[in-house]
Formats: sequence, structure tokens, C-alpha cells
Amino acid sequence: MPSTPLNEPIIHAANLTRVYPLGDGSVVGINQVNLNVAPGELVVLKGNSGSGKSTLLSLLAGLDRPTSGDLSVAGNNLSNSHGMDLTRFRREVVGMVFQSFNLLPTLNVLENVSLPALLADKDAEETRRKALELLDWLGLKNRRDHHPDQLSGGEMQRTAIARALINDPALILADEPTGNLDSRNGMTVIDLLGQLNRTFKRTVVIATHSDLADALATRHIRIRDGAITDPSCDG
Amino acid sequence: MFFLRLFRWFSLRNLRTHWGRALVVLLGIALGAAVFTSVRLAVHASLSSFVRSMDFFAGTAQKVLVRPGGYLPEGVLPVLLGHPAVKDFSPLLTTYVRRSDVPGDSFLMIGIDPLLDQAFRKWRISGDRDQATERWLDLIREPYTLILTEPLARELQIASGARLKLDHTRNSAEFRVAGILMPEGLALVEGGRVALTDIATFQEFTGLYGLLDRIDLTFKPKATPQDIEDLARKLPAELELRSPSAARDSGTAMIRAYQLNLSVLSFASLFVGMFLVYSLVALNVAARRRELAVLRSLGASPRTLFMLFLCEGMLFGAGGWMLAIPLSSLLVKYLLHGVSQTISTLFVRVQVEGLVLSPLEIAISLGVTLLTAAGAALQPAREAMGVPPKEAMEISQAGVRRGHSVRRLALWALGCILAGIPLSLLPGVAGVPLPGYLAILLLFIGFALLSPWMLERLGQRLAPLLRRYAGIPAYLAGRYLRDCGARTAISVGALITAVALFTALVVMIHSFRHTVELWVRQTVSGDLFVTTKMGQVNRFRFAIPETIVAGLKQMDVGADYVQSRRYQMNYGDFPYEFEAMGMETFLSHGGFVWLKGDPQETRLRLTQGEGVLISEVFATRTGLGIGDVFRTQIEGSSIELPVVGIIRDYRTDGGVVFYSWKHFKERFHDPQWSGVRFFFKDRASEVGGRVSALRNAIIQRWGDALDMVSGKDLRESVLRIFDETFAITTVLLLIALAVAALGITTTLTVMVLERSRQLSTLYAVGGSFRQIRAMIFWEASFLVAAGEVAGLACGFILSYLLVYVINRQSFGWTFLYVVDWGALAFSLPLIILTALAAAVPAVRMVFRAPPAALLRER
Repeated sequence: MPSTPLNEPIIHAANLTRVYPLGDGSVVGINQVNLNVAPGELVVLKGNSGSGKSTLLSLLAGLDRPTSGDLSVAGNNLSNSHGMDLTRFRREVVGMVFQSFNLLPTLNVLENVSLPALLADKDAEETRRKALELLDWLGLKNRRDHHPDQLSGGEMQRTAIARALINDPALILADEPTGNLDSRNGMTVIDLLGQLNRTFKRTVVIATHSDLADALATRHIRIRDGAITDPSCDG
Repeated sequence: MFFLRLFRWFSLRNLRTHWGRALVVLLGIALGAAVFTSVRLAVHASLSSFVRSMDFFAGTAQKVLVRPGGYLPEGVLPVLLGHPAVKDFSPLLTTYVRRSDVPGDSFLMIGIDPLLDQAFRKWRISGDRDQATERWLDLIREPYTLILTEPLARELQIASGARLKLDHTRNSAEFRVAGILMPEGLALVEGGRVALTDIATFQEFTGLYGLLDRIDLTFKPKATPQDIEDLARKLPAELELRSPSAARDSGTAMIRAYQLNLSVLSFASLFVGMFLVYSLVALNVAARRRELAVLRSLGASPRTLFMLFLCEGMLFGAGGWMLAIPLSSLLVKYLLHGVSQTISTLFVRVQVEGLVLSPLEIAISLGVTLLTAAGAALQPAREAMGVPPKEAMEISQAGVRRGHSVRRLALWALGCILAGIPLSLLPGVAGVPLPGYLAILLLFIGFALLSPWMLERLGQRLAPLLRRYAGIPAYLAGRYLRDCGARTAISVGALITAVALFTALVVMIHSFRHTVELWVRQTVSGDLFVTTKMGQVNRFRFAIPETIVAGLKQMDVGADYVQSRRYQMNYGDFPYEFEAMGMETFLSHGGFVWLKGDPQETRLRLTQGEGVLISEVFATRTGLGIGDVFRTQIEGSSIELPVVGIIRDYRTDGGVVFYSWKHFKERFHDPQWSGVRFFFKDRASEVGGRVSALRNAIIQRWGDALDMVSGKDLRESVLRIFDETFAITTVLLLIALAVAALGITTTLTVMVLERSRQLSTLYAVGGSFRQIRAMIFWEASFLVAAGEVAGLACGFILSYLLVYVINRQSFGWTFLYVVDWGALAFSLPLIILTALAAAVPAVRMVFRAPPAALLRER
């Protein structure tokens, strides 16, 4: 995987457009988005439901491909990537945190956290050691053998964060990470994402409705009807 | 009314949206229903043809006078004529004949007194009144005239007034066709393959001067049971007054037993189809929990939700049944011939003229299909009832990990399997192995319930190994199956059922064939079998003429001969065959397949005429065992002999009793030869040429007076009939396996659809398409492996039940238990491959919708 020189943006989008076919017509997810995010930023992406936040995040995560425009993340040209390139990108470059956690119910906490590394064929022992370290840092070590249905919402989201970090990604993408949490757990999760940004120098993009992350953001982006309305607004 | 609208809105529209899944389930049910319906219709056609034939033949007779094992003397007629209780009587003779000049099948010739018979049976000659009377009179006054049915005349290509030469056991003669029978009454017996002649002509043609098969009787309205007893007393002791329906009832009982066995076997496909309905309805309940909660919050009662899913199941039943109609119409054509042939070979001769669309059979088929489908939907419908309205407000977070009832289910499973043991020991109910079938049902249910525990164990034990040796996709598959709970396991039940049936039937058929081969080698031993002409079709009733017997005895061809006489008898209502045979010579060349009794000692006692040998079927049906006394009346001789041994014999499901010819002749009477078999003494050189030479010598001397078949050909034909009989079973089995493969497709598709969000998560955290597809394939492999292993175990238990319980109670016989490892080793991998091929549609379904869309919140 190519890496990003320090003076170059980790995310570079130019005229990025995603259109979904729907019946005889189509729906615009995002339209002509231009965006540059520098390494080490914590970007808060705001907008109403259906504004295009999740679409943008899916494109940044390599889960979806743009209809037109250029997209480059950490030196990887996602506009032209396919199949195994995208898989490698998701394994090595990004870590995803979802609103509904999306932990696999049949795996316990340790296994859920280890999963991305194991999928990437990393050494099992090394993966285990690292997963335990992450769980320790997140205060979940004593929960490592529990299954998701035995965890609270906050614990599930912290497990999801550990999973997102297991492969040392340069970019953390969080889609409404506090949406299913109470305010105390929501604050804990935002603090963790803030720590990742400040202490571990990870670039973090958070798509959210809430104001919890506002104080930590190095940058705010507002998105409406698939277009960025204010790309440089400062928190 | 509102419910129907809701059903349309909620259920039908959903099915229409997911029409592919619905179609697979409909196809599965349709296949099952088609097999069930066509099997029932085919056996019903044989049954109704048989009953109709027997009823028309019995006519209005209230009693039938017979002489067991022989012919009635005409001298008894004056006794009947003079008895005050007797209203009418009609003497009767029957035999099978065939056209001499043109090859073709034999048909039934009935000899009647045209005057006396009018009171008993309905038959009319076609033509206007004068013509019919004239032809009727021709039958009485002109010797060697006969009347044919219209289908038979057409088959023989002969018209009224023409002449045809007919062959019978002892004679050939030319007859004039006096007329054609109207298609009613007697003309419908044996599917219309009947000819009527005057009884005097019949006797002259067959050489049965002064002899009758039976005399049908009706009594005056005032006749009391005492009067009938008085008549019986005045008749010679060796004669019996029987119910005219006895033969019909025993034949009907045999066909019904066969129908039940085939129905149960054909129900297997429907039973397997039941798993499909369960899978889809369960998926719909699970996938639509939020919608159900919304419905509840809007005021729908739990009962309404229950009914919605129950009706969904029944809709699959009704739709599948309707789809089954065209499939059945194709299948029944194939089955009709096979079933009637099997019934004719094993039980009673039937001639099926066509399919009878019985409203009752149609109703049974629809009812069973609907009930099966409704039964399958019952549990998911109950689950739907329990969805609380508050779920409408909740967001699914962790997903469902596992059912906590795995151990409880395993205990239930063990209970079901163990409950089958005492049930299998219980006797059948009225000749029907109901407890045995119940034991089989419990066995299937038990193994289906056991599969969650099995999958849990499999996943738990294999997971570490898989991770090390097969990679993360296999590991994830194992972990999923460990926790998947009852739903997936129930679907594995479909495969278990099909594999178990397959295994059991392979074992049963192989055991049966192995034992029949042994029986054929030993009991049907001999190099050349000789009987009277048409001896087989006339059930060896006619003896070989004395002059021919003398000639056969003197033939110097270096061969021993074993003469025999077979009598078709009844033990109470139970028909069997009594065979007197040259025991000593037979035992020196061939033998029996011994079941009970010391073979050495029994051989000795048999050759010394100290007792009879009975077949297993006879022992099972009559309850007679070694040491019991066998009593019967044959051709006027009262026979009372102890049972000295029990053997396996498969010539008929009616059972056989063997006795030494020499001692029968010494103690009772000369039984005359109805057949003889030759054994060449020199076994060192090839016997084929000598058999041909002997056959040619017999033909040269007596022309076509005798029927002959080489022992090799006879044994091969027995095994060929056996294989043809089980061809139907094989077809039914393959259909059950096809339905099970559909079950695998549905199960895996359901698993993919249910977990689309989890699969997308895997994709999001770095899983490649290949890894995720490999995981689904591993899951399929585990399901199939578990289904196959459990099915194999279940199949061996089932095979034991089939061989020692179901066959014994249904047909009276058992076989030597032999496992065809070769066939299993060849077939089971094929089943695995088929089942894995069934996983392909599910694998292709992964990520039909983009992962990003699946991960988006609702």
C-alpha cells in the first residue's frame, strides 16, 4: 500500500459523485464533492439524514465506488481500484466504527477484535497479543471472552473501536458512533476517538448528528443534499 | 375480510417480492405432493380394479362351495338341488388360455352354465334382442363356442363369428366366437380380458370331466344359519362353504398393506418438503420481526400474527399441491404399470384398465399436503405470536447469538429415539405396522432435534483445528454453525431424513436381494424346470399327464429329478401354498435358507416325513412355530403334521408349507406331478449344453405339451422381477433426495439473507469476497457433513426397523442383514457433491445488495 507523505492530504476528493440507480430514475448520494483532509486531522462531518454523510464515508472506506470524480485515500486511488486492491485497502488503511456496532454475534470480544488481522493473514499469536493490549487500553480485558449479547452498548462500541485499530490503520472512519449510546457512553467513545487523534496521531472522520465531538474537531464539514456547503468551517 | 386484506398486504406482497425463494419451496412441496398423489392414485387404480373384478366375479353369491386344493365333483349338485335352504346355485370353472396361432398374453376363460348363471352374474351379449338371444343359445347348444369381451376381441383381432384356436395346459382346440359381451358386469373382470364358454365345453376342453372349481350359492330368504349348517353337514367332509368375499378381502388387505408402505415411502418427499416450508416461514418471521412489532403496536392481536404465518404455510401447501397436478399426471403414468406389475407379482393378479380419479384419494392428497405445510409453519407462526410491540421502538444491536435450548432439544431427541425401541417391539394393528411407523417418525424427529447439539459440538471441537489448518473462513463457518441454533439444524433435518432414507433403503434392498439370491441359489436350484403348459399362470393346478410322467421318469440323461405338486390353499382366511416335493433328492442338490430349527436334524425329519417345513411368512401370519401341529384338508385327505422347521421363502407373501412327496403319497394320496426339476449329476463340466439337449429331447417327444425354463433363466428372471419391483422405490428415493437438495439451497440462502449485515461487516473490516464465499461454502460443507453423518446413523437404525419390524409386520418376512458398503461408499460422496452444488445459488447471493447499503442504518 502506498503511504502518504506528510505534506500531502490523506484524503483527496475532486468532483466526487455517487449516483444510485433507482427504478427508472436515479438518486444522487453526493454530487461534485471536493475535499482535502490533512494527516492528523479530526474531521466532524455534519448534516441531516439523507444529506450524503454515509455515502461519503462508504466511499472513503472503500465499501463503495464513485460514479465519477477522483478519490485518493492515503495514496490509494480508490476511483480505479477493484476487488483485491479494495480489500487490502480496507484491511490496512481504514478502520470503521458503525452506529450499530456490527459485531459478529458468534464471536467473543477477543475474536471480534482479532478478526480483521486474521482476515489479513497476520500471525495469530501477535494478533492476540495486540488485541489484548487494545482491550486493556479500552478497559475491556475482563470482557474478552464475552459475546456481544453479553455487553452493554458502550462496551460494544469500544470493542468496535478496538477492532478498527487492530491493523493500525492511518484513517479511522466513524459513522454515527454515538447514535445508539446514552450521553455518558457517547462521551466516552468520543473521548477515545479524540485520544486516537491527539495521542496516536490518527486521522479521524466522524459523521454525526450530535454535538459531542464538536469540541475535539480540528475541522467541521457540513454537507447538504450531497454537496459540501462549508468545507473549511472551524470548530 | 380484513384478515384476507392484511394477508394480501403483508404476506402475499412479501412473497411476490421474494418470488425466487417462494418458488423453490413451492417446487419442493410440489415434488413431494406429486409423488404422494401419484403413488396413491396408482395403487388405488390397482386396488379398485381388483375389487371391481372380484365383485363382478362374485356376483350375488352368498356362499361358495369349494374343495381345498382340488376340484369339486359334479355329484354334489343333487345335494344342493334337493336342499330346502338353497335358492339358486351356479357351477363355475376358470383357467387361463392363450391363442395358439398368434403369440400373446394369456386371458381368463370362464366356464358357466348360461342358464344357472343368470341369477348370479350380470353379463349380456351385444346386438339387438333377437341376435343376442340367438348367440346366447349358440353358447348352450353348439360345443366350442365362446363369447369375448370387446377389448379382448380387439386385442386378438377377431370378430364375432370368426374362429380361433386356443391353447390350454392339456389341450388345444378351435372355438367359434359366438358373440361379443356388452361392457358391463362379468365383462369388466380382469380389465376386460375375459372369455365365456359353456361349462360342458370347458370340461371337455380342459379334460376336467365331472369336475368344478366352485359352486356359487344363494339361499332362500327364510333360510336360517342352522339351515346352512345343515347343508354343510350333508355335504362331503372335504368340501368347504366359504364366504365369496374371502378372496377379495385377503387380496384387498394385501394391496392395502402395499399401498400403506408405498404411501409412507412417498410421504418421505413431502416430509422433506416440510423442512423447506419451515425454513422459509421461519426466515420471514425472523426477518420481519420489526414489521410484526409495528403491526402489534398498531393493534394486531398475537392470534392475527399467528394466522398470517400459518396461512402462509398453507398457501405453500395449496400452491405446491396445484403445481403437483401436472407433475402427478406425468408420474402416475410411469407408476401405474410398475405398481400393477408389482402387485401381480407379489400378491394378486390385477389388470389395470386405466386411472381412476378417486375424489377420496384427491381429498387425501390435498389434506395431507395442506396439513404437512401447516404443520411446518406452526412453530414459526407461534414465534411470530410472541413478538412484543415494544420491538418496534428498538434497534437491533448485538444480533441473536444462540438458542439456549440446545441441550433441552438434545434431551428431547434422545427421548424420541429411545421411545422408538418399545414401539418397534409392539405388534402391528390389524396387519398394519403402525407402531413401527410411529417409531420411524420418532426416529426422524429425534435426529432432527439432535442436530443443533451436533452442530454445536462440531463447531466447538473443530473450530481450533479449522483455524490452524483451513484458515479463517472455515473457522468463522464453524463458529457460526456452533451458535446457529435450532433453525439451521431443522433444515439439516431435511438432509438427515433424505440420507437416512437413502441409507436404510440401500441396506434394506441389498439385504433383501442378497437373501433372495441365496434363496434362489438354494431353494430355486435345478438345471431345468418343467411344468404343464401354462402351468405358472394357472398356478400349477393341472397335473402333468400320467403318460408324460412315465416318460420323464425314464429319461436317461444323467440327471436326478425332483417332482412336486403345488396346492393353492387357505389357512383360515390366509392364502398359502402347500408343496409336496421329492425332498431327499432335492436336499442332496439344493436346500433351504434356514431360519429356525437345527438344519441337520430338520433335514432328517423332513426326509423321514415326520413333519412339515413352513416359511417365515406362514409362521408369522398363522402364529405356528416349531412343534406346533399343522392341519389342513387337501383333495379329501386330512393332514395333521408337526412343524419341524422354519425357512426363508420369497415366492409369494402368502407363505409356503413343504412336505416330503414320498410320505405324502404313502400317508395320504398320490398327489400327481404338477412340475419337475432336473439336476445334472455331473457338475464338473458345463451344464448349459446338456440342458438344451434335454429340453430338445422333451420337445421332440411331447411337442409343446410342457413349459420349460432352464434353472439359470428362472433364477435370473426372479432377480429381474425383484429389481423391477424396487425400481419404484428407487425413483421415490431420488425425488426425496432432490427435495432435500432444494432444502440445502433454501437453508443456505436463508442463512445468507439473514446475515447479510454480518457479511457486510466482514467485508468492511477487511474480508475479501473470496473469503466470505469460502466461509459460506464451509458452512454448507459442515451442514452437509453433519446431515450425512447423522443421516447415516439414523439410516442404519431405520434399516434395522425396515428389515425386522416393517417388513415382518407388513409382509411377514425378514432378511439377512447385509450392508452394501460399496453402494454407500459410491453414493454418499455423490450426495455430498449434490448437496454442495445446491449451495451454489446461496454463495452467488452473497452481496447481491452492496455492502455499504446493507451497513446503513434503517
